[in-house]
Amino acid sequence: MKESLNETLEKVPLPHVKQIGRKAMHLQIRGRDLWLYGMPRQPQGIFRWLWVLGPGLVAASAGNDAGGIATYSSAGAKFGYELLWVMLLITVSLAVVQEMCARLGAATGRGLLDLIRERFGLNWGIFAISIILIANGGLIISEFVGIGAALELFGISRYVSVPLAAAVVWYLVVFGSYAQVEKIFLLMTLVFLAYPVAAIMAKPVWGEVAMGFVPKIHTDTVYVTMLVGLIGTTITPYMQLFQQSSTVEKGTARKHYGDERIDAYAGSIFSNLMSMSMIIATAATLHVIGKTEIESASDAAKALEPVAGATARIIFGIGLFGASMLAAAVLPLATAYAVSETFGFPKGVNLDFRRASIFFRLFTGLIVLGAGVALIPSVPVIKLLFFVQILNGALLPIVLLFILLLVNDARLMRDLKNTKLYNILGWATFALVTTAVMGMFGLQIYGLLTGK
Amino acid sequence: MLMLSEIRRFRLVDDQNQTVRIADLSVDLLNGEYPPIKQVLFWNDDRKFVGLDWKNSNLIDLRKKEIRTTNLKEAKEFPDDSLTREVLLVRDVLDALILDLQNRRVTRANDLWLEKRDEQIVLSHADISTAAILRRLSFNLWRRIDRKNLFDWKFVEFLRGDPNAVRNGAGYHLRITKLAPGEIAGFIDLIPYLHAAELIVLLPDKLAADVLELTSSDKQLQIFEELDDEQSRKMFALLAPETGAKIIKQLKEDEAQKALENLPKDCAAKILELLRFPEGTVGSVMTNDVVTLPLDLTVDEARQFLTEPLKNPNFVYFIYVVETGVSRVLRGVISLRRIVTAEPTDKVADIMDEFVSVLSPMGEARAASFRLIDSHLAAMPVVDETNKLLGVLTIDAAVSNVAPRNWRDQAPRVFS
Repeated sequence: MKESLNETLEKVPLPHVKQIGRKAMHLQIRGRDLWLYGMPRQPQGIFRWLWVLGPGLVAASAGNDAGGIATYSSAGAKFGYELLWVMLLITVSLAVVQEMCARLGAATGRGLLDLIRERFGLNWGIFAISIILIANGGLIISEFVGIGAALELFGISRYVSVPLAAAVVWYLVVFGSYAQVEKIFLLMTLVFLAYPVAAIMAKPVWGEVAMGFVPKIHTDTVYVTMLVGLIGTTITPYMQLFQQSSTVEKGTARKHYGDERIDAYAGSIFSNLMSMSMIIATAATLHVIGKTEIESASDAAKALEPVAGATARIIFGIGLFGASMLAAAVLPLATAYAVSETFGFPKGVNLDFRRASIFFRLFTGLIVLGAGVALIPSVPVIKLLFFVQILNGALLPIVLLFILLLVNDARLMRDLKNTKLYNILGWATFALVTTAVMGMFGLQIYGLLTGK
Repeated sequence: MLMLSEIRRFRLVDDQNQTVRIADLSVDLLNGEYPPIKQVLFWNDDRKFVGLDWKNSNLIDLRKKEIRTTNLKEAKEFPDDSLTREVLLVRDVLDALILDLQNRRVTRANDLWLEKRDEQIVLSHADISTAAILRRLSFNLWRRIDRKNLFDWKFVEFLRGDPNAVRNGAGYHLRITKLAPGEIAGFIDLIPYLHAAELIVLLPDKLAADVLELTSSDKQLQIFEELDDEQSRKMFALLAPETGAKIIKQLKEDEAQKALENLPKDCAAKILELLRFPEGTVGSVMTNDVVTLPLDLTVDEARQFLTEPLKNPNFVYFIYVVETGVSRVLRGVISLRRIVTAEPTDKVADIMDEFVSVLSPMGEARAASFRLIDSHLAAMPVVDETNKLLGVLTIDAAVSNVAPRNWRDQAPRVFS
């Protein structure tokens, strides 16, 4: 048998290595050494790790959107480094939640809303998708407002930047393949590196920064509200939706799941390091001079200029633009995935308008709505974000509960079912998020009753 | 007709007037085109999932919203192994993805319709309408029925989303086997990979291989990873070598080694031949599953000679004439049509076309593809420096090779 195989192989002349200019993969098949030039070489060293990055990094980075930047900047301006320790806790929680979603996607080949509809029924599916549609719709508007505000820092009118950004995002998703779109999204995450640069340029006292990682708990409502805001803005339902749906679209199967886990962890760590950089940048500049009120991300960039110079403003502005662009693409995509999964419409960036018309129409509609409303001069972005935050807050514990139930379903997950450690971390996250959300609602009601 | 969403709200009442809520209905999926209800399932007082034969529960009172049965205590526990084999309407079919074979689309069953036929209650239609969603959300206050979106169950294929279900003996109608491979592949690209793997496992081997040939490369790999070693060997043996090579290329080094070791000898050899050529060369995109004919035969002899070789290869439009089967030195080409229409006594050497455009295996694949497209030929042979035939570049491969990356999987395959 071996000889016969070798005889057949001898018929093919061996291509010369120098002529080809690339290395062959060496395999030993049935005792015979073979050099296969057609086998793609697996990336080695650092590239091996960069190669696995994908949905995890994109989903987590998209969470650092315009609203997120505003919250982190505000946390730094108001409380200095005091809330940095919370970010460490949230990083663990985010990593656990995102990893579970990636695992669900790989184990089942289905998106989160797909599974919610099938396992928990129509009512829960419709409940979840209704909130997602409204909350994500609001967020998409805020991302386009973020794009307009970021480029206005450089003197470009929002009436030019917003439609242009919308067209670019639309073209990318409608005409690109998933692999191309993912690569561009990954490149866009590089913009977040502007924030560590801004943090270093702010010249913080690193000893004080280190002290920020020591937990300090206050009971005043402003501190608690900010703490809850940080949790809510770092772990948002659309990140879980996108993580799972894009893991599915990437084509990750259960047998190759290991790499996705690294991606989910790396994404969560990267995105929260960027968030911490925003806190450090504003704490070292605005908090120390007593400027504690920041309402939006562009406010933060403008406020930085007199303290840390025009370069700091520009860097912050670039970061805001990149973050808003990424979220403006990810959010409509995550929403279109979710709606299609709920109702069973064909979906996917790899398909086209002909084969997934509702998916692409939805995506287009959300972009048009987001960009269109963002151009209305009197759109109350802060109020809108506040409303969206409440909706996302209401949805998050429910989504987490579903994720935890699904990821523990042995029939669905087989060998990728949650381990004990994961369950401890998962349920702890659920408790943390639920407490935070209840706290947020409690504070809102308290505010309404007392008029504070 | 009765809706499953409605029946779920009914109570099951026995002769002693004991009542329970209906949890689910099991169907006998293989019993005819419209599966009859087999058992009505509910949770008993001991919190056990139990089933009662439907034939004992055949009096449906729509006004009181109840189903009469003889004795609830006769219900038997539904064993765990049955749960994996049986099809339960609420658990498995309602809200699940179904394949609508008539309209060639994948959709969700928003509701299921049951009707009385031959003294049995059978599953007759899947309702995929928005009206069904509104009806369920409004607790049946919304009464409108959208008959355009009511699909006859005999044109529906239901998958469980678990390739092991086929191995464990779950039954399927296999209505989908009546569709063309390309249409089945169209379904596969729209369903989750576990459903896709289940579909491939349940299809007859030859059809499964034909479908896999036309499936997008991401899905091919995912499906292969769900097949057991034996199924995977069988599929590789039936696939064109270039498709096999494409799948092997996506595997990691150790997995590729294992897969190649497990393959049948001839199949491994053909795939390895292709894998020797670097990406972007003609050799990497050609097929080496080609029918050849020795030069010294008559047409009659050639027809007999070709009976066996023509059974398997995918590309049969041209037959390549070689000096001998061992040397494979290319001497000419002849179309299958010419062999059929020529006189039996004609010599192959006399009727073949000797002036053959050839490609080099190390030539650039893109340039070669354009050359082939411009020539309006169905294929061009690929030969080494001694004129030995290594394979052919087909027009299908050429078109796919020059198409934008995200259109490649959609490029039509006509000749191979």
